[in-house]
Amino acid sequence: MTTVGIIANPMSGRDIRRLVARASVFPNAEKTSMILRLAAAAGALGVQRLLLSTDTFGIAAGVLRADRHRVGRQDPCWPRLEFCDLEPPTSTAADTRALVRQMRAHGAGLIVLLGGDGTVRAAAAELGDTPVLPLSTGTNNAFPQMWEATVAGVAAALVATGAVDAGVATRRAKVLHVQCGHREELALVDVCVSTVGYVGARALWQTAALRELYCAFAEPHAIGLSSIAAQLRPTARDSLRGVAVRLAGDDPAPRSVLAPIAPGTLAHVGVLDVSDMAFHERWVSQVPAGTVAVDGEREIEFGRHEQVSVTLSDRGPLVVDVPAVLRAAAERRLLATESALPTPVPRVAMR
Amino acid sequence: MSQTLPSYAGSGLDDKSLLEAYRIMRTIREFEERVHREFATGEIPGFVHLYAGEEASAVGVCMHLDGRDAIASTHRGHGHCIAKGVDVKAMMAEIYGRQTGSCHGKGGSMHIADLSKGMLGANGIVGGGPPLICGTALAAKLQGTGGVGVAFFGDGASNQGTTLEALNLATVWNLPAVFVAENNGYAEATSSTWSVASDNIADRAAGFGMPGVIIDGFDFFAVYEAAGEAIQRAREGGGPTLIEVKFTRYFGHFEGDQQTYRGDEVARARETLDCLLQFRRRAVDAGHLGTGQLDDIDAEVGTLIDAAVAEARAAPKPTDADLTTDVYVSY
Repeated sequence: MTTVGIIANPMSGRDIRRLVARASVFPNAEKTSMILRLAAAAGALGVQRLLLSTDTFGIAAGVLRADRHRVGRQDPCWPRLEFCDLEPPTSTAADTRALVRQMRAHGAGLIVLLGGDGTVRAAAAELGDTPVLPLSTGTNNAFPQMWEATVAGVAAALVATGAVDAGVATRRAKVLHVQCGHREELALVDVCVSTVGYVGARALWQTAALRELYCAFAEPHAIGLSSIAAQLRPTARDSLRGVAVRLAGDDPAPRSVLAPIAPGTLAHVGVLDVSDMAFHERWVSQVPAGTVAVDGEREIEFGRHEQVSVTLSDRGPLVVDVPAVLRAAAERRLLATESALPTPVPRVAMR
Repeated sequence: MSQTLPSYAGSGLDDKSLLEAYRIMRTIREFEERVHREFATGEIPGFVHLYAGEEASAVGVCMHLDGRDAIASTHRGHGHCIAKGVDVKAMMAEIYGRQTGSCHGKGGSMHIADLSKGMLGANGIVGGGPPLICGTALAAKLQGTGGVGVAFFGDGASNQGTTLEALNLATVWNLPAVFVAENNGYAEATSSTWSVASDNIADRAAGFGMPGVIIDGFDFFAVYEAAGEAIQRAREGGGPTLIEVKFTRYFGHFEGDQQTYRGDEVARARETLDCLLQFRRRAVDAGHLGTGQLDDIDAEVGTLIDAAVAEARAAPKPTDADLTTDVYVSY
């Protein structure tokens, strides 16, 4: 039975950037709607079973409520919904990891993630070779991209049913490995070492304290710290390198970049130099003490006796390339039929 | 040495401030633990509602406040009182119902106040604080003092009409106010995940035209950082903010509460999440403070609380003649 997993992070998009920048709020009710749109589309294209995350914030409850209201109207295309329980939920990133493990164990051929960079990062540690389709509902969303949920459902179904094969449909993402003493962290977009002393409210918006930036990719149209690197050395998601930038803080710098480091925030950042990062090359931070932020969130506090190192790897999660899947579908006429007479096509809708 | 240390100073947290933060949090903790023990003897009249476990919220916020600023509190007000500088001995005497108390022994735990310190009082009315703060914030705005008003309220109060009205008014009048929703998961015995429709109190902020953020209430630094931004925004005329602090209270709703509605989250919190434990470990690991300094503070605080209890128990109770004083305010 073709099975797709959907994990919705109830906590994405609620941190201090709502206050210090003008980051938008993504209501949990909208995440419920996205899941229902995904279900309608995926079901129409042959996904028979959906594994869904549970949460105490009303997202899963909203999906369950809508599912129950369908009982009176039999829709042969609506998939079977199964909720994955966490015993007990911790309301932390550990839940995301536990859900990925559970869904893979229960046969999910693909996992859709509703969240931001942090959500994908948490999942990445457990995904293995299971393709992932990240849908952006977080703050920065430099990694997950904006796809309408119905379209994402179509793409997910085409990959999960094998109609479009994984080689065409997915790309192996680059990933940055951070080591600090015994701690290891993963970043999908960027790692920033700063002199800020504590993890605190996690988000990073004080540019004067930033010292080193390591990016797996840097797209000029993206938001977040990687946009600093992108203005000097644009680096595509599928390029075979990363980019490392040394920042000047308050000191005089040979060049300066105006970058959208957070929603609503354009900042001038002084840059000392920019270099390419090769795969498997270990970069050791020169910052004596401070914090390491992964994908824009402070995560690790380190002191004088600890060394921070960053390494770029080409073995990140297998990410569904939605445009590529739909292009393949168009080329192979997977969603079109040639016929002389128009046949009545059942309209599949989320009621 | 300071150049190689991670910078706390950039955010206003130099070594002196770190020590002060620890001292105030430790004072609240020792005060509450002691009241918990003393209440069991039956000598304390009335009810007490203890703040132990929540110290990072009161201290992380109040460290940004000064003489221009006012706070409104809840029935669980000892932490806010201590963080805003109310005299600890006068507080203990008030809880014991003695003449030397901050309200001359007539109010007890839920009415400890000190207007000279900008502490409008602990408050037994659920949701009573936020409208008061709209008043003090309006006064500060009209008088141009640069002061802010901070309303502490709980998850139960977040559902009260008075709180929602205050949020609306603060935005409509662009008041220098900060609303701190202390979500410890229970309104008395009612779970907040059941009773708060939006599940996150901070999610309501958007509906009231103000930013809302969620902060880990066990992490002093997180509270301090978020509160600093919100208070600065208010001082600069940027308007109100809603901060939701999530944590757990170590004791019951009131002393005597059997807490049959709870799991074992307190044990887990005390062992791994506790704000004082975290603070100590991180400040010492970062090389800013020494364990000796912190142990000294622990000892000094212990002595202070002992003295407060001893003096309270020795102080006289109000007499019949005191019944007719403090009834009216003289203008």
